[in-house]
Amino acid sequence: MKYALFLGCLISAREPSYELYARKVMPHFGIELVDMPETTCCAPFSIQSLDYIGWLAMAARNLAIAEEMELPVLAFCNDCYESLLMTSIILRDDQELRSKVNKVLSEVGKEYKGKVKVKHVLEVLQQDIGVKKIKDSVKRPLTELKIATQTGCHAVRPKMIHPTLAVSLETLDELVKAMGAKTVNYDKKEVCCGGPLRGVNDEISRQLTRQKLRGMKEAGANCVATVCPFCFIQFDLGQLEIKRAFGEEYNLPVFHFIELLSLASGLEIKDWKMRDHRIPVDPIYEKIMGR
Amino acid sequence: MSEVDPNFMHEVANTPRGKGVLTCIQCGRCTSSCPVARFLTEHNPRRLMEMIILGFRPDVLHRLPWYCLSCFTCLDRCPQRGDVGEVVFAIRSLAAREGDVPEGVVEQAKNLFETGRLVPTAEFMLRQRKNLGLPEVSTSSKDAETIMRRTGFDKMMAKARGERSKVRK
Repeated sequence: MKYALFLGCLISAREPSYELYARKVMPHFGIELVDMPETTCCAPFSIQSLDYIGWLAMAARNLAIAEEMELPVLAFCNDCYESLLMTSIILRDDQELRSKVNKVLSEVGKEYKGKVKVKHVLEVLQQDIGVKKIKDSVKRPLTELKIATQTGCHAVRPKMIHPTLAVSLETLDELVKAMGAKTVNYDKKEVCCGGPLRGVNDEISRQLTRQKLRGMKEAGANCVATVCPFCFIQFDLGQLEIKRAFGEEYNLPVFHFIELLSLASGLEIKDWKMRDHRIPVDPIYEKIMGR
Repeated sequence: MSEVDPNFMHEVANTPRGKGVLTCIQCGRCTSSCPVARFLTEHNPRRLMEMIILGFRPDVLHRLPWYCLSCFTCLDRCPQRGDVGEVVFAIRSLAAREGDVPEGVVEQAKNLFETGRLVPTAEFMLRQRKNLGLPEVSTSSKDAETIMRRTGFDKMMAKARGERSKVRK
């Protein structure tokens, strides 16, 4: 399978090792990623809050690029997925709205015909590759890891509206177990990480993260796995902020799920030390790589 | 007493994403499931819908819309599939037209307008990308600006900045 790679702002500007792992591990499983030229931001929730047509036009411009490439879009960020997927469904079904959006797009020399499919990385792993294949290709089983998973709201929200979509709260746990790790059921597992209120209401944002970290720790997790780059920052950087605000230390290493998949699949990436982590991950790395 | 606008419910219902307000039965499942309401009594999704229905326009637009996480737990729980989280987008866009937008959100819109990205690339990060062998980042700031001008974002941002400087004085 071949996809147009939509990286989004946060991964490319703040989490380069996420991108590195993604670019290595997807081809390892036979998924070809083709870079999209001249994209813009996906227009996530903050932008959607300001103007409806503005949101749809910004997202549809990106979809139009994939349409020119004749490829479906693959998103690694939950917010990119949600924005692009919902736009693709809305504009596929509403022709009148599509011509309104295309009027805006004509000023940037683009047209969106409503044909692009948008996929989330978990969906591609589960459906194109399959849990069994992932299980069979594990070279370094994660048997000593007790992982608290965070799927993230915006990966599962589209399924609430369109039940035939694939990604649910169980998808990530299933994939984590396939790599030999245990998952923990923790208090507030299904609740938002608090990220969307970062920079708008930091106090509430931190409280939400804190209650989840507490639940993870109490359930005996020794690390956290996220998919969305926003959730990642919320738990990783968030632990330092919570230490400052509440004097509480959780010391829970946070991993991109895709990073764990790269490690479990036995990929050799030259500079393992180049990482996005603020909470030290060495103890967990030792468990995975062997002492 | 707050000013009452009897037409407000219909104004919201006629705004894109706002029609859920018409089907609300005030059962309160949204509030009981809302992760923010747990920490903040001011944020009460059921009460928010009630205030829209009753027409408390200034209170709804200028005090309440920015606490929502857009986590959509309420969408999952609403027996009417009404989705307060969706209605929140409608009232935010009405507030934005009047220049009432939190500074953090204006900042994000400004980034998008100037760089085509919500999170601009810093110099050190571009160097780090190069060291890792990652390809160059390809963004069209020009097209983002054109789309935002065409859909009125530039005026909204100017108004939001003006409103806040009034408040600061």
